[in-house]
Amino acid sequence: MYMTVESKENMLMNYIMKNYLWQFNSRTWDRKAQNENIIGKMTQILCNEKIKMDTPADRCYWAEAKSLIDEWKCFPWLKKMNITDIKLMMSTLKKDLDTQLITQSLNKELTDPNY
Amino acid sequence: MPYHQFDCSKCISERLHHAVDKEPNENLTDALPLGYLKTIPGTLSERGCAYCGAKHVIGTPMKDVIHLSHGPIGCPYDTWQTKRYISDNDDFQIKYTFATGMKEKHIIFGAKKELKETIKESFRAFPNIKRMTIYQACASALIGDDIDAVAKEIMNEMPDVDIFCCHSPGFAGPSQSAGHHVINIEWVDTKVGQVEPEITSDYVINYIGEYNIQGDQEVMQDYFKRMGIQVLSTFTGNGSYDDLRAMHRAQLNILECARSAEYICNVLRKRYGIPRMDIDGFGFKPMATSLRKIGLFFGIEDRAEAIIEEETKRWQPELDWYVARLKGKKICLWPGGSKLWHWAHVVHDELGLEVVSVYTKFGHQGDMEKGISRCEAGALAIDDPNELETIEAMTKLKPDLIATGKRPGEVAKKIRVPYINAHAYHNGPYKGFEGWVRFARDIYNAIYSPIHQLSFVDISKDEISQDKGFVTRQMLSDKNLDEAVIKSGEMHEYTGEYDSVKKLRGKKYPQYPMTKKVNKKKEEIG
Repeated sequence: MYMTVESKENMLMNYIMKNYLWQFNSRTWDRKAQNENIIGKMTQILCNEKIKMDTPADRCYWAEAKSLIDEWKCFPWLKKMNITDIKLMMSTLKKDLDTQLITQSLNKELTDPNY
Repeated sequence: MPYHQFDCSKCISERLHHAVDKEPNENLTDALPLGYLKTIPGTLSERGCAYCGAKHVIGTPMKDVIHLSHGPIGCPYDTWQTKRYISDNDDFQIKYTFATGMKEKHIIFGAKKELKETIKESFRAFPNIKRMTIYQACASALIGDDIDAVAKEIMNEMPDVDIFCCHSPGFAGPSQSAGHHVINIEWVDTKVGQVEPEITSDYVINYIGEYNIQGDQEVMQDYFKRMGIQVLSTFTGNGSYDDLRAMHRAQLNILECARSAEYICNVLRKRYGIPRMDIDGFGFKPMATSLRKIGLFFGIEDRAEAIIEEETKRWQPELDWYVARLKGKKICLWPGGSKLWHWAHVVHDELGLEVVSVYTKFGHQGDMEKGISRCEAGALAIDDPNELETIEAMTKLKPDLIATGKRPGEVAKKIRVPYINAHAYHNGPYKGFEGWVRFARDIYNAIYSPIHQLSFVDISKDEISQDKGFVTRQMLSDKNLDEAVIKSGEMHEYTGEYDSVKKLRGKKYPQYPMTKKVNKKKEEIG
């Protein structure tokens, strides 16, 4: 069955939202950092790029990213994708996470100064 | 995702935005229940207060501590032993409750003298306990008794004791969640960094947001120790006061209940650079993912894989026996906070249950984001429901089981819906691989209880036959099962021990030699 990059991205988005928790940290700045760093490291793993591991935080982002990529072996189409498509798909994935959980989020606590 | 209007709450217009029906092909930007707001006057909430949230959720699970309430006796007594946070030191912290027992005269004249006397008397009564926590209740907070000054005086007079003061009176916020926040921040601000721990492993964690309900912490600690990981402290179930003063020396914070303890994780991350890793300890797959992530962080994935393989092999056939009999049953996940999202996906994916509703009493919108993302379309998500709303939901949704606390649980029983205790558990622990089988067994026992079937008989009018009617759970559960499943030689009922935690105490673990040079000295520096 033919799958578009968009439908693949949807599948991965649903997987993250259902099975992982890192994207739900409680502040806007924290969600931005989590999405950027973990999706960034996932993209690097998928594209066989060099990964920065200078700090404990980097290692933690990488552990989350690597765990997801290992679990995504259940999506065989992922292995067949070229680097351009992977990068496009992962940037859309990050954009969608940012949209749902940051920019268009209905969670009023994200920016509550008293929280 | 449209907002859900309860018939019984039409007269309370504010309630409309506290409930949402999850629809297919919609997402969190379409609707999200409001959360963590003051309970609306006129609606009967089932929440706890900020004092209870600080003391009885977070503070009291610390095991080697006298936990003292400065307030009327009703505050500690009425909230005492509402949770089964056991410990490996003979459950000291749940056997006794301490209070100054303030009365009307103290509201006029103050109760600092009583507080000081009570502290001394408590330490005299338990001379082996040298640590204390003191909690403000509404009465002592309103009159302004300076508990910090009294604690300081005592610590000067008794240099071998250490006291932590918590300022979270009942009125300090909308629910117990406010108390979680207060005690997190007060602990990290006043106590962390005061003790230098002995480091015994290359891999050191704090285990945070875990309260050892019926032994959950000890199950998880067993996995960590098998991986050669040192659990420096647990915040706070089965945790030691002085270990929790040394949290700053961990390499990684493992966070379980983000609702009650993300605050301290976030401060430890900012102040000491310790990363935060959120995990799920419930269910086979989430448990395996969690162990793998921790293994990856430390570069010991092989140790995690060995545990996952061993535990899955041991417990999968027993889980399968229950899953075959639970498939398609409808459940309302109505816990207090974090379990709504810890369980929302995995009871469906691994136990075959249909989640028809999730609710939270004191959760925030972030908890609803997680819970709604994880449950299937069709579920009704409710924030801080009142009793009439829960009855209306149960009547319409017709669940086979409610997983909730004992107060709403008793209401459910009255309308013939069985419940299992999601807060203190029925026959836990529920964490880990074996724990998940125990959870499945409790669900099975609740749904197929012959007593529950009898509750539908109205003895005032129904005819009661005396020569038939003998049933067992299995007669009920196996009625429509395939013969192949019933006769399966692979699947079988739970075979673990009645007490699955006892065997973990005093267990010997593999010794992994340390390779990194670290501070091995333990001393108090505060």
